[in-house]
Amino acid sequence: MIVCVAVVGHQNNPVFLQSFTDSDDALKLHHIVHCSLDVIDERVNNPKKSGPTLNDTFLGVLYPMDDCKVYGYLTNTNVKFIMVTTDTDLKDGDLRSFFKDLHSAYVDAVSNPFHIPGKKITSKSFAERVSSIVKSFGSGSTF
Amino acid sequence: MAPLPPRSGDAVFANIERVNAELFSLTYGAIVRQLLTDLEEVDEVNKQLDQMGYNIGVRLIDEFLAKSNVSRCADFKETADVIAKVGFKMFLGVTASVTNWDADGMSCSLILEDNPLVDFVELPDTCQGLYYCNILSGVIRGALEMLCTSY
Repeated sequence: MIVCVAVVGHQNNPVFLQSFTDSDDALKLHHIVHCSLDVIDERVNNPKKSGPTLNDTFLGVLYPMDDCKVYGYLTNTNVKFIMVTTDTDLKDGDLRSFFKDLHSAYVDAVSNPFHIPGKKITSKSFAERVSSIVKSFGSGSTF
Repeated sequence: MAPLPPRSGDAVFANIERVNAELFSLTYGAIVRQLLTDLEEVDEVNKQLDQMGYNIGVRLIDEFLAKSNVSRCADFKETADVIAKVGFKMFLGVTASVTNWDADGMSCSLILEDNPLVDFVELPDTCQGLYYCNILSGVIRGALEMLCTSY
């Protein structure tokens, strides 16, 4: 179950945050997302020799918490996508395609001439696309 | 030389030079954004887009007639059809449908199902009265004005 999805800009400014459960409050999710930003910075500044050579780096599990895991994805422009989920067993391929879909939805949203780069994404269609990507991710992993 | 038969929109579109659709949409979006920043009033922007379209239309009509070889239209209905099928196809790559004719046959609506100008665009709440594609109305107005010999 995906708990929330967040998009953070290159100056670590929040661009989009959407939660998909009723119980968790936004503050706790903000806190989780903030902590994962630190982990991302750490990974970026200390590239491992055996790290992935792909440009659009899928960062994998950032850190496991008690009940959920946090996954990260970094684009070339230092825009970070963060996903918090309570699922325990997720395939790498599913995650990569999830973040790829999220990336293309994000690209379409910022191509809107009325979107100001750096400000929050206010587009309703982006929120809807994210919701549908999240829904289809949940059903895809039952195979 | 015998007059060439009128070419359909597809035939003309196949032979004409083209531009990347994303570049086109992003450029038009940037123009509208800049007009909004400069003029601030939505009505002013609408007027300016119409005027820009008019200036384009008065020049575009010659290229259209030269490349498409359409014959003289008998009435306004035919004119609307030619604009929708040949004109839009030639310059935007999409055809429009003509609907909503009024009783006199004096006005109609051209509906664009798939408009390349508005890819990625979502109007914010502050610009709800904006006619984003008003440049197209200006183009049609300019082109038709050049053809009008009487009235």
